[in-house]
Amino acid sequence: MRSLFYSNRIAKAFVALSLVLFVSYSTVSATDHAILQQHCGKCHTGEEPEGGFHLELLGDGVTAESQEYWQASMDYVSLGDMPPSEESNVTDADRLQIAEYIREMILKQSRTPNDRFRYPTRRLNNREFANSISDALGIEDPGTHFPLGNLLGDTLHDGFDTNGDALGISEYHLEQYVESVRKVVDATVLSGEQSPPQHYDVPARLLRMSSLGQRTTRQESAIRNEDSLEFRDMRVRMYFDNFREVPVTGYYRIKIRATGIDRGYYDSAETGVYDGDPISLAIHFGDRKRTYELPDNEVMEIELTEWLAKGTRVELSYPTDGLRNRGNGNFKFQQSIAHDHIKEHDPDLYAKVVASIKPKRGGGRVLSVSHWSHWVDYWRGPRPRVYGAEIDGPIYQTWPPKRQFSLVGESPISGDAEAILTPIAERAWRRKVREGELDPIVRLVHDLQPDIGDLEAMKEGIVAIFVSPSFLLINPEDGSPAERFATKLAYFFESTLPSERVHSSIAAGKADDFDALCDSVARYFTSGHADEFLIEFPHAWLQLDRINFMAPDPDRYPHYHRKDVSADMIAEAKHFFRHAVETNMSVPEMLTANYSFINADLAKVYGVDDVPEDSKLRKYEFADHRRGGLLGMAAFLTLTADTMGTSPIHRAVYVMENFMGIHPAPPPGDVEIQEPDVRQAKTIKEILKAHVAQETCASCHRSIDPYGYAFENFDPVGAWRDQYVQSVTEPEREAKVTNKSRKTAPPIQLPIDASATFRNGKAYDDIVGFRKLMQSKANQEQFVRCFIKKLLIYANGTEPQNAAEVEKILLKSAEHDYRIVETIAAVLDSPLFREP
Amino acid sequence: MAFSRRSILQGLGGALALPALESTVHAEATKGGGSSSNGQTPLRFLVVGNPLGMHPPNFFPQDFGRDYTISRTLQPLEWAKDRFTIFSHTDHGMKSGHGRELAFLSGVLPETSHAFAEKNMSIDQLIAKHIGGDVRYPSIHASLQTGIRMVWNANGVELEPFTDPQKLFDYLFLNLSDEEKKTQRQTLARNRSILDAVAEQFAGVKAKTGAADRERLDQFGTSIRELEDRMETRRNWVDRDKPQFDISHHFEGEATIINRYNAIFDMVAYAFQTDLTRVATVAFPNELGYTDVNGVNRGYHACTHNGKDEQVVAELVAIESFQIEQLSRFMKKLDDVDEPNANGSMLDHTVILFGSGMGYGGTHSNRNLPILVAGGGFKHLGHVDTRNAAGNNMPLCNLYVTLMQRFGIERDRFNLSTGAFELSYA
Repeated sequence: MRSLFYSNRIAKAFVALSLVLFVSYSTVSATDHAILQQHCGKCHTGEEPEGGFHLELLGDGVTAESQEYWQASMDYVSLGDMPPSEESNVTDADRLQIAEYIREMILKQSRTPNDRFRYPTRRLNNREFANSISDALGIEDPGTHFPLGNLLGDTLHDGFDTNGDALGISEYHLEQYVESVRKVVDATVLSGEQSPPQHYDVPARLLRMSSLGQRTTRQESAIRNEDSLEFRDMRVRMYFDNFREVPVTGYYRIKIRATGIDRGYYDSAETGVYDGDPISLAIHFGDRKRTYELPDNEVMEIELTEWLAKGTRVELSYPTDGLRNRGNGNFKFQQSIAHDHIKEHDPDLYAKVVASIKPKRGGGRVLSVSHWSHWVDYWRGPRPRVYGAEIDGPIYQTWPPKRQFSLVGESPISGDAEAILTPIAERAWRRKVREGELDPIVRLVHDLQPDIGDLEAMKEGIVAIFVSPSFLLINPEDGSPAERFATKLAYFFESTLPSERVHSSIAAGKADDFDALCDSVARYFTSGHADEFLIEFPHAWLQLDRINFMAPDPDRYPHYHRKDVSADMIAEAKHFFRHAVETNMSVPEMLTANYSFINADLAKVYGVDDVPEDSKLRKYEFADHRRGGLLGMAAFLTLTADTMGTSPIHRAVYVMENFMGIHPAPPPGDVEIQEPDVRQAKTIKEILKAHVAQETCASCHRSIDPYGYAFENFDPVGAWRDQYVQSVTEPEREAKVTNKSRKTAPPIQLPIDASATFRNGKAYDDIVGFRKLMQSKANQEQFVRCFIKKLLIYANGTEPQNAAEVEKILLKSAEHDYRIVETIAAVLDSPLFREP
Repeated sequence: MAFSRRSILQGLGGALALPALESTVHAEATKGGGSSSNGQTPLRFLVVGNPLGMHPPNFFPQDFGRDYTISRTLQPLEWAKDRFTIFSHTDHGMKSGHGRELAFLSGVLPETSHAFAEKNMSIDQLIAKHIGGDVRYPSIHASLQTGIRMVWNANGVELEPFTDPQKLFDYLFLNLSDEEKKTQRQTLARNRSILDAVAEQFAGVKAKTGAADRERLDQFGTSIRELEDRMETRRNWVDRDKPQFDISHHFEGEATIINRYNAIFDMVAYAFQTDLTRVATVAFPNELGYTDVNGVNRGYHACTHNGKDEQVVAELVAIESFQIEQLSRFMKKLDDVDEPNANGSMLDHTVILFGSGMGYGGTHSNRNLPILVAGGGFKHLGHVDTRNAAGNNMPLCNLYVTLMQRFGIERDRFNLSTGAFELSYA
């Protein structure tokens, strides 16, 4: 038997704990886990135990030091990986017994002292920062002038943006916070006199289109009519020439008259825009965006009132994932659609245009008839037409504006600083302010007042509140348990500071125990307050950020790029997760459900043709048992694939890490990894066979590979394939670059073998069999365990450190048929979340 | 791809007749002990890095020694063959896979940094710290679109580069009007007051903190102190004018990555020449589109996973050659300027490190990193095999020890080092 207790964590723990272990070797002379000695002793004892794991590492029972080993042991035994079938005659019943023994030992783990459940504080990530400062100030968002644009981007850790180690803080961060907060406060509390409102009339002639290049003299890429301006190129934005940016912060009422035209004029296969999709118009105020669906050939009057910061640019755009279907996807190639259409349908016009084609000035060459430049004016693709706009503002219902009044009152004086700043600080710091704690900040206001006046001084005091560690760090100190819990709960579901609603529901006992939490969790999802969780958690858990890290090859998979299909794939995964939560699905069903949510673009990838021709996601049941649920999603299949090919290893590692909760160790550094060579007529399995024959590789790969081969029938975009298609060229002596391009032979087809055997002897022939195996009780349980850990990582910013408590959550979840709501409630009720 | 002749001519040569040294001005004003004021010539440090390594058969020359045959990718550097050394068989001993290239400049990954006193501080920051407040900017960092996460400070926090040449220009060369200076002084003073208030309130928080939180709160406290220091330095510099520089010709016409990198390297060269800073890094990120470079159609990352397809390998080599061409152009620029008050050109007083924390993206190998050191007055060795008698690769940190010593940092260890690499200098 080869290794296998060689997970990442174990490897790390092994180094860190070697000292401790040394001690335990000498004090614990013999461990007496008879069942383990019997089944595991042969390989995991002696001078050189397999995988570097010696049974003595388990000690007498589960302790803080040994629990990593117990946890990993349980993972591998429950999955059936250990003890392996290939070298023993253990039965499934034996494995079940061993797993049960390990679980009992883990559950017996002595209750650790309270502070063991404390997770280190961490910095707010940028999302949380934006939400929190907005809620503390009572504003809709941080502002339309990109006030947070200077913040450093957050570093993700395994997809999570809540990881405390990755969220560092430095003087550089701090400086950016000061700058950002001041910008936010400046656009909320207005200094100076009230500005009178102005009226701006924007007729069609003052509508302008931005340019892609740096040259501004170039003719604008738009269709200009007497009474309107139309989008010809979806990459540019429209703006108002007499209202380029907001002059003064305040409310503005904006009216825009627009319509959608020529939907369905061309064949949608040519344009890439489905006839079923309405034409949309997006209005951008900085990074705030409002999108409207325009009626066809009928003028719609859009009216909206927005608080806009000084300097905000107002721009319109045409959001569509189409219009890249022809040529190299560059917009000018759309004009050839116009050419082809006119040639076929309007011979008179065609003749007229052709007759007008003249050589370029200065005796240049004559461009061919089909050249895009002749047909620009005849483009009739689906597009928004904008007639004009009217803007009024700044508008203030009161002066000072309401948001300012509720923060600092009508005309604050520095003498009232403490009274004014205390409620702001209590919201921002998510706790009561301690006696005397605000003194330094109050003093700051007093000191500044003579130089800069009362209001400006008060604003500096507000800035200081948001630069304080009490705002920027989550639970940095020992506050009251109720306040700490409210903070954690609010950041878990809403990624923001706890509102009055959260505080009062906790005070009312609605989070006191498991049953109360079940109701509260369910209410979160029905009330819409948990939207942030529903969007961000699956994004992090499924590592959807990786999808275009290595996008499929544009030449081989044009559909993926021309229809922006990665966005549909991400939307599918999130939509499915939301559905799972809202219907309170059983957790394991997420993995292997026989349905998902797809639109026409995804249908093309999935080889399905009975869905409506539009971009809306709808529930679809797959009859072939190959797809549906997380295991069938193109997002996962794509983000684990290379550009040209797929790797069963990458997919296996993804499945193990994100669905099974096991981190296989990366290959050691001195292993020579063979570079994939598309020029040879070998399948990946044949190539990998070579290295599985090597002992160093085999010990891990025998466990890893079976999790990946099942997906071999899915190509780099996740579409089904029955054969590999490879273009084979003569391998050269050395991969030196030569300038002459070699003739490539016609592509050859190689058969796919998507079968594999797990170490417990269970085998599958293809994805259908694999999905069935994933529905075994052991695998389902392991998936739920993984889901629980991911929830805890999202909540705590670090891996759970106590295996027994994870098991207790799992047992609680099992009592409720692993329903998602109850599982989440069990997580929130656990000391691992409550941090008692 | 050829560089526009015009941009080369206009870049440094004529425009920069006699630039005033920033630190000299500063030293006169403060009577501080900047090294240039006490007659020593400044030594500068530039790192040029990428996250995906180099295609090995095209990067490493076939033979060793001073008289080696230049490799395909390194061809643009042929003119300077005796001014740089290529190091074979050196690395940080990392396992395979993406993400470990973050350790390029320290040998330490963020996740294991707590085991090291200096965390995963990159060597450029170590050198910048040593140089200290003699110059206006301790270090400058540039890239396009996004960084490659190679620069880390002593807190183990990543420093992000400027990704917009225009912003880098404004930062380095834009002089403020009197009004703006006044505003900046006021802002600095106000920020100072805010930090003071926060520091005081922070002390109260820290007193209430549990053991688990202490480390991160210490980090916060350090950040406050360091920012206060930095503002102090900055206040000293506000009133002094920066050197004048013009890069507008790089922005005429279409904005390609070629003219934007030209602009970045020109700014670094001029910042070195005028002693605005002595430490800089420039990165070639994975996410950037390199299709402006002749012969490139695919993504950088995609090209590394070429499956040995010739066409795709050629695109990868084109991207890598582009990086070397940029390096070569920069070195030429420095070499055309005589170092004032010293022998040799500016290139002889600038240590340049080119390389990657990844060996080769195609195999995800982090062994045998592509490493090249140029200039710095070293007696260069051509192409060296750094393996020891037992055939083991040399820790790259050994070379870093050598570089530190070149900067007068008196130490003989750095993270994973087992010694120092012998590279003498004039």
